Amino acid sequence: MDPITLFSIIKGGLVLGALYALMATGLSLVWTTLGIFNFAHGAFIALGAYVAWQFASADAYGLPLGLALAVTTGVMFAIGAVIHFLLVKPFERRADVVLITVITTLAGSAILENALLLIWGPRSKQIPELVEGTVAVAEFQLAWSEVLLLVVVLAILIGLGLFLRYTRPGRSMRAVSQNREAAQLLGLDVPIYFALAFGLSAVTAGLAGVFVGTIRFMNPAMGAEPLMKALIVVIFGGIARFSSPIYAAFIIGLLEAFSIYVFGLYWAPAVLFLTMIVVLLIKPEGLFGKYQRTL
Amino acid sequence: MADPILQVTDLSGGYDPVQIFRDINLSVGAGESIGIFGPNGHGKTTLLKTLSGLIDPWSGDIRFDGQQMNRSGARGSRRWQNFNYDAITRRRMDPKTVARAGLIHVQQGNLLFPELTVDETLSISTRAASGRQGWSRADVLGLFPRLSERLVHKIRFLSGGERQMVSVAAGLLSAPRMLILDEPTLGLSPKVRSELCDAIVTVRETGLPIILIDQDVAFLERIIDRLYLFDHGRISRVMERDEIPGHEGLMAMLFGEVT
Ligand SMILES: Nc1ncnc2c1ncn2[C@@H]1O[C@H](COP(=O)(O)OP(=O)(O)OP(=O)(O)O)[C@@H](O)[C@H]1O
Ligand SMILES: [Mg+2]
Repeated sequence: MDPITLFSIIKGGLVLGALYALMATGLSLVWTTLGIFNFAHGAFIALGAYVAWQFASADAYGLPLGLALAVTTGVMFAIGAVIHFLLVKPFERRADVVLITVITTLAGSAILENALLLIWGPRSKQIPELVEGTVAVAEFQLAWSEVLLLVVVLAILIGLGLFLRYTRPGRSMRAVSQNREAAQLLGLDVPIYFALAFGLSAVTAGLAGVFVGTIRFMNPAMGAEPLMKALIVVIFGGIARFSSPIYAAFIIGLLEAFSIYVFGLYWAPAVLFLTMIVVLLIKPEGLFGKYQRTL
Repeated sequence: MADPILQVTDLSGGYDPVQIFRDINLSVGAGESIGIFGPNGHGKTTLLKTLSGLIDPWSGDIRFDGQQMNRSGARGSRRWQNFNYDAITRRRMDPKTVARAGLIHVQQGNLLFPELTVDETLSISTRAASGRQGWSRADVLGLFPRLSERLVHKIRFLSGGERQMVSVAAGLLSAPRMLILDEPTLGLSPKVRSELCDAIVTVRETGLPIILIDQDVAFLERIIDRLYLFDHGRISRVMERDEIPGHEGLMAMLFGEVT
């Protein structure tokens, strides 16, 4: 393998890894905080892409990209919080909440995807590239959009980590995730922190969707495949700490890029699943996981 | 007696469908402290969880500082609850509201937040104070000097005694108007235990009303004005501090004379 091919495989793997990290972090944020699995996460990915398209595309409102992204962030946060109050909160006190919310979030996902179809129609769309041009070092080429993606994703993840570690709402959210009863007894408003987790999760999904929307054509079901990958990442990496799905995402991204090169596009998913199965056989709690869920 | 700060009337409750306690009446005056003494597993902790709103009462009333803590309304039948949106989503009691009113419950064997550090835990523990003035961070670190050296340690690496101290410290930062302590000295080594007991006596000396559950009669006598004997989910006897017959005597009251 020549260095240029190797470079482009690694580059592709890192880009994939960054996207998976963004999606998986949102997924595990909700899982660790609320103890439920959000099947509407994939629909959030599509929704983020469409909302950003609506504000940014020259065919629609045509706002400057930065502004469009800011608006998308706000919209996604609000939608995430609302979805929590509609689909999860009403069932919170039931013993079978995990099962019920599988159904309600699946339903929410179907409703959201069909709403996208209804509003924006079936025609494929694409978000304009966030930045154009490439940067080249010797023969190694890197598109600015790829650099931007890596930088933005890392900034979001680091920002989220700092938020959880150093701010009061972030610490309170971790407290709620670790011991709901004790948090309530200290006067913390648990539903608010749940909504916050859901909102942040939707924001990360939406921004991941924006990046996907610049790379591929958008359609309302575009979140399904990334959701599957995010799920693999979360299961593969475990959720012992905030950072474990992030490491796992980059491992999966690189693995996928290499297996596409070696085994071809069709066999890559099989290789991923095989790796996951082997890892889970050896370490059932995930590569970096522990049995408890904590944030 | 002036208006009681806590007034519990005919309270019954438990873990649906198992009733754990019934017909509890308690009245604690401002500045007063009470103790509850009873055998293991008879429902003391369940009663306290009901007072702080972690589980809904089945019937009866809880008034704290003149304010009704439980929403009234009959308990629906179990079958009905499964279909009734309202019964699923609306608590008849909300622990957050109780805590913000100043009734602070320090749980038995409290694990708190295993992955947070002591410092982080203290930093989020002022929410229930809701603007009331109370113990400051410096005050609680003065009360529990051990914690000053443990600030950066995660709760799960602390000893049982230190963890209990963090629990009490977090409760004090909530600016309590009344403190509920559920077996705070359980399973501690003698040295740590006496440190904690002394600290709780210091807290008591500020005039803060306390509900204390403990198996150690000598410690109870340092804190409380009145002792409630708790037997099979009921209060079987109430006695003033100077009427307490010592551990043996209490056991005899609970289990009959043992010869
Ligand atoms: N979450 C629960 N669900 C159902 N039953 C429970 C639950 N928690 C406790 N119980 C039962 O309720 C009864 C009373 O328990 P509780 O902890 O209130 O007793 P206690 O008097 O505080 O005992 P101890 O002195 O050991 O702390 C026990 O029989 C216990 O098994
Ligand atoms: Mg108990």
